[in-house]
Amino acid sequence: MPNLDLYQEEFHPSPLVHTWLEFRKSHIAVLGLWLLAFFIVLVILGPLIAPFDPLLQNPNAFLVQPAWDASGSIRYLFGTDSLGRDLLSRLIYGCRMTLGISLLLVVISMLIGIALGAIAGMTRGVRSSVLNHLLDSLMAVPTLLIAIVIVGILGIGLVNSMWAICLALVPQVVHNTREVVRAEMQKEYVLASKLDGAKKFHLFFYCVLPNMYEMLVVQGTMALSIAILDISALGFLGLGAQPPSPELGVMLSEGLREAYKSPWLIALPGSAIFLMVLAVNVVGDGLRSALRNRLQN
Amino acid sequence: MMLAHVIRKFNLLILTLLVLSILSFMLVYLFPGDPLVNLTGLEDIDQETYQRLTVLHGFDKSYFHQYWYYIRGLFDGEWGLSFSSGLPLANEIAQTLPASIELSAYALILSLLIGVPLGFVAGFQHHKTTDYGLLTASVVAYSMPIFWLSLILILVFSLQLGWLPLSGRISLLFDIPHHTGFILIDIFFSDLSYKGAAAKSAFYHLIMPTASLTIVTAAIIFRLTRRSVIEVMSSTYVQAAYTRGLSGFQVVMRHGVRNALVPIIPLFGMQFAVLLTNAMIVEVVFSWPGIGSWLIQAINQRDYPAIRAGMLAVSTLVIMLTVATDLLAKLINPAQMGTAHAES
Repeated sequence: MPNLDLYQEEFHPSPLVHTWLEFRKSHIAVLGLWLLAFFIVLVILGPLIAPFDPLLQNPNAFLVQPAWDASGSIRYLFGTDSLGRDLLSRLIYGCRMTLGISLLLVVISMLIGIALGAIAGMTRGVRSSVLNHLLDSLMAVPTLLIAIVIVGILGIGLVNSMWAICLALVPQVVHNTREVVRAEMQKEYVLASKLDGAKKFHLFFYCVLPNMYEMLVVQGTMALSIAILDISALGFLGLGAQPPSPELGVMLSEGLREAYKSPWLIALPGSAIFLMVLAVNVVGDGLRSALRNRLQN
Repeated sequence: MMLAHVIRKFNLLILTLLVLSILSFMLVYLFPGDPLVNLTGLEDIDQETYQRLTVLHGFDKSYFHQYWYYIRGLFDGEWGLSFSSGLPLANEIAQTLPASIELSAYALILSLLIGVPLGFVAGFQHHKTTDYGLLTASVVAYSMPIFWLSLILILVFSLQLGWLPLSGRISLLFDIPHHTGFILIDIFFSDLSYKGAAAKSAFYHLIMPTASLTIVTAAIIFRLTRRSVIEVMSSTYVQAAYTRGLSGFQVVMRHGVRNALVPIIPLFGMQFAVLLTNAMIVEVVFSWPGIGSWLIQAINQRDYPAIRAGMLAVSTLVIMLTVATDLLAKLINPAQMGTAHAES
């Protein structure tokens, strides 16, 4: 539809629309968003798309090469692994598992982090000081290290590694939320609401929170890329998901044994993780620069 | 002012280490099994020895006493024995930790040498082709799962081309006496006849692990530097410098470099912790005999004394490094110190 400008009407986009318009200017960011959408569709519709069961072993087709290889067959588009499982189905289920779990973890840790961050940002005194010092020292420690420590204590397993990553993600969310809440609380519109008699609960949900959505989305994309990398790293190290579950990191470490004969077993799951993280990072970067541009203009 | 700050940071360090030691002591009880066995690492002991150990570690007294004996043991180097190897943990950690630090240090130095100059180039060329090219490369490098990157390097350079050794720290033919634990230094100060060949072998073994760590870390450092340079170059004092008639080169040298670097130096310090974690994964891939592969092996084998000691060692190292870089950053940029005081 041509964008006719018949009336010299002034267009005042709302902040969210404004951010979206800025975001759309960067083609790479939009491409990243499409890629991310593709992966999310895989997460939702994975079982409908996958041609085989990810755990189904075909004893007549061990280590079949991908379809583009001379010895490959179209029946197995990406070939099979050493147990005769279809790699394409395992990849689809793997994306579903890795990305799905990461999304879940990010949502949970964001909810916890925002709640704690809001409390830390709106209270003063000894309680918040203790919380802040503790968090700041935790901030410096990488999430994967915290996750490895927690897995070491809780024991190996997918559920334990999920707990570990979830807890490890919280400090950064709390830190950023606290900073934003503190900054917003200084502003005059909050003061105005305060003078109107708004309680703290009301102040947070009606004044501060709407101004934090974009920051939270940016924070969420960062947390998501960390969560994907961490969960697949733990799977790869044998501390998280266990074989035969189709988790991308686990698939990589399983493929190691046959790496010499069929490098696709390493190349494809690795590229899937890489593309997922790349898409998330590109979208995050795009959002951040869109926000920066909006605030500058 | 500075002294007060150092003391404050030192207090924080001591407090954190205290908390860490209490946590690691609590692990003795939290892990499944007999606490005394988890503490000493001695399995299958007879009744008499058990009684002796109970008295020795204060397990017949209160938790406080036990903790006190535990701390004393830590300082005396009695960290218990590993379940799986039966060797003293202090020795095992003393051998594996330097290997990790060595790897991370080389990677950090290389990443700084690559990331910072490229960050400056991209920052000065903001919104130009060079900037976009470098930025794209950095996003790609930074999105790479490090274990996959290492595997690809192995596939290409070891298995296909056969240029570089697959795993380990040095060819098994060489026997390097263990002094500092840093293999290049050990080789340099040793009086072996095959020094040159050993150094060459160690160097070849270093290339791939260092490269995979460097690629990821350099990308992060590049992004930090670039953002800082862009912010400085768009600031008002740089514009003022231009209006005073300074050339581009003069502006960059007098106002750009220093102001861009000062705020990001503490962030570089924080990267060391990230680097150490990545190094733990890379060690597993390359069978590098460092603390990471050792600790992950211990977790897989449920070697509780080793997990406890290894975690204490790694977290102590990370915390001390963080505090040290923080102090260094404050020394370079005392302006931060004032704000830190005003806040608290």
